[in-house]
Amino acid sequence: MTKAYQLSNIKVSFQQNVVLDIPELTIPKGKCVALLGENGAGKSTLLNVLACLSKANTGSVTLLNQTAALPLSSSQRQKIGFVQQHPYLLPGSVEDNIKLALKLQGIPATQHSQLIKQALEQTKTTHLALQQTNSLSGGELKRVAIARSIAYQPDILLLDEPFSHLDQHHIQLLEEFIVSFAQQQNKTIIFSSHDRLQGMALADNIINLVAGKITSSPLLNVFHGSLSEHLFDTGKLQIHSTSTQSNAHHIAIDPREIIISAQALQSSMRNSFSGRLILIAEEEESVRLTVDCGESFHVLISPESLKNLDLSLGKSVHLSFKSTAVTVF
Amino acid sequence: MNYFIDSFSAAFDLIISFDPAIYQIAITSVLISITAAVIAASLAIPAGVTMALTPFRGKAFIQHILNTLMAMPTVVIGLLLYGLFSRLGPLGHWGLLYTPTAIIIAEAILIFPIMMNLSITAVQSADPRLIPTLMSLGAKPLPLMLQVIRTTRLAMLAAVITGFGRAIGEVGAAMMLGGNIEGFTRTMTTAIALETSKGDFELGLALGLLLLIIAFALNFILSWLNSRHD
Repeated sequence: MTKAYQLSNIKVSFQQNVVLDIPELTIPKGKCVALLGENGAGKSTLLNVLACLSKANTGSVTLLNQTAALPLSSSQRQKIGFVQQHPYLLPGSVEDNIKLALKLQGIPATQHSQLIKQALEQTKTTHLALQQTNSLSGGELKRVAIARSIAYQPDILLLDEPFSHLDQHHIQLLEEFIVSFAQQQNKTIIFSSHDRLQGMALADNIINLVAGKITSSPLLNVFHGSLSEHLFDTGKLQIHSTSTQSNAHHIAIDPREIIISAQALQSSMRNSFSGRLILIAEEEESVRLTVDCGESFHVLISPESLKNLDLSLGKSVHLSFKSTAVTVF
Repeated sequence: MNYFIDSFSAAFDLIISFDPAIYQIAITSVLISITAAVIAASLAIPAGVTMALTPFRGKAFIQHILNTLMAMPTVVIGLLLYGLFSRLGPLGHWGLLYTPTAIIIAEAILIFPIMMNLSITAVQSADPRLIPTLMSLGAKPLPLMLQVIRTTRLAMLAAVITGFGRAIGEVGAAMMLGGNIEGFTRTMTTAIALETSKGDFELGLALGLLLLIIAFALNFILSWLNSRHD
């Protein structure tokens, strides 16, 4: 398998705080990958490491099966397109900006007009070619920045929060672009988002980041606290786990592993809480329930189960899950 | 009071009548200052941009030194260079003392830290996304530096104009190293000092007014360029 990226023992610290800690991560080539996490989870830091713009304190990055040593070689740099969360366009026209990118990449001037045309067409910004960058709207600016980053035809495109602060029309245009870019052969696209559903809808693979660490659990039921003697204290609840990691400060509970019932269950499950149903929402082919037990728990059930349990908002319910359903990190 | 008004009137007459003595001094002064500004800018701007772009140990210390040099009295520079260029000094055989070249060197040294500091500030106050953007687009060190200078060109121009302004208004080093030789090293500031001490207040005032006009013209050009940029 050709890998777009292989990260080993990556640690990034700011003022002695570890903001990114990834022992191992492989991103296959030719995939659309969503990087999900809350604000401050380390998504931008990871994207900066992937873009080879900032160096991790420890660890190594392999880019398309070659070690990525900073500063990158010209040929490696040409393989990466990166668009920041708030992209910066230089003063001048849209075309000037794309031309500058091609010039900096050392692409012969004879190819410029063709590549500019292609990039503008791909991002549906052809009509903006001669417009001054200071007169672009937020959505146009993001699409133009993407056009600039794909003009030199990189194999990997990294987008940091591409959908933030955009209206529905521009979100749709960007989603269409991401899907079409990902469909091209051997092109890898990695984008960050805090919208889990959007990530799941667009991407082949999901990377969940919590407090700088990758977690395999979906980003539901993530709690912060401290672990002592198999008991994780969130400050409001105590949750049993099987882990003894003393340096762990987060847990995640797979919403499919939580059992919801009208009465408390007599079972071997170590965790049992009673609470009130506060939200019922449709999610793809499941139903997502939110139950307030002091902490809010999300539970995924089938529409049939919802019908059988006769659940309604405000109803008292019981949640049960095994200690083994608790992932500690 | 009449003396003061009469002097102003006489000074204006000298300027309007294109008095050759005054314009000879003004041209010498402008040429020396432009040369010094060009030499200093061609060294200080790349040095400033490189320093702003490169993280290294001792950067804060160098900036402290630059700040100190910005406030260095011109007579100290004049004194040090006098020691170097005087007949008994290590560079005495170059024969630079009492030549425009000596003044140019002194003024270039004087304005170098000012221009370098202002170049550093120009880069540091540029949009923080500029450098990561250029790096992500594949800019190598030299194209990166040139593009940063291009993007911050107005601030760089302000640095050059500030340096030029300091050079043209400088008197201590010009007097010590130039010797105030008429038609050769006499600049506006040294002439003002000399003529005033001789009692020729009108000529000194005329040169002072010319200096002010030059300063005004430079500021006007800078404001005009800024407004065009906005």
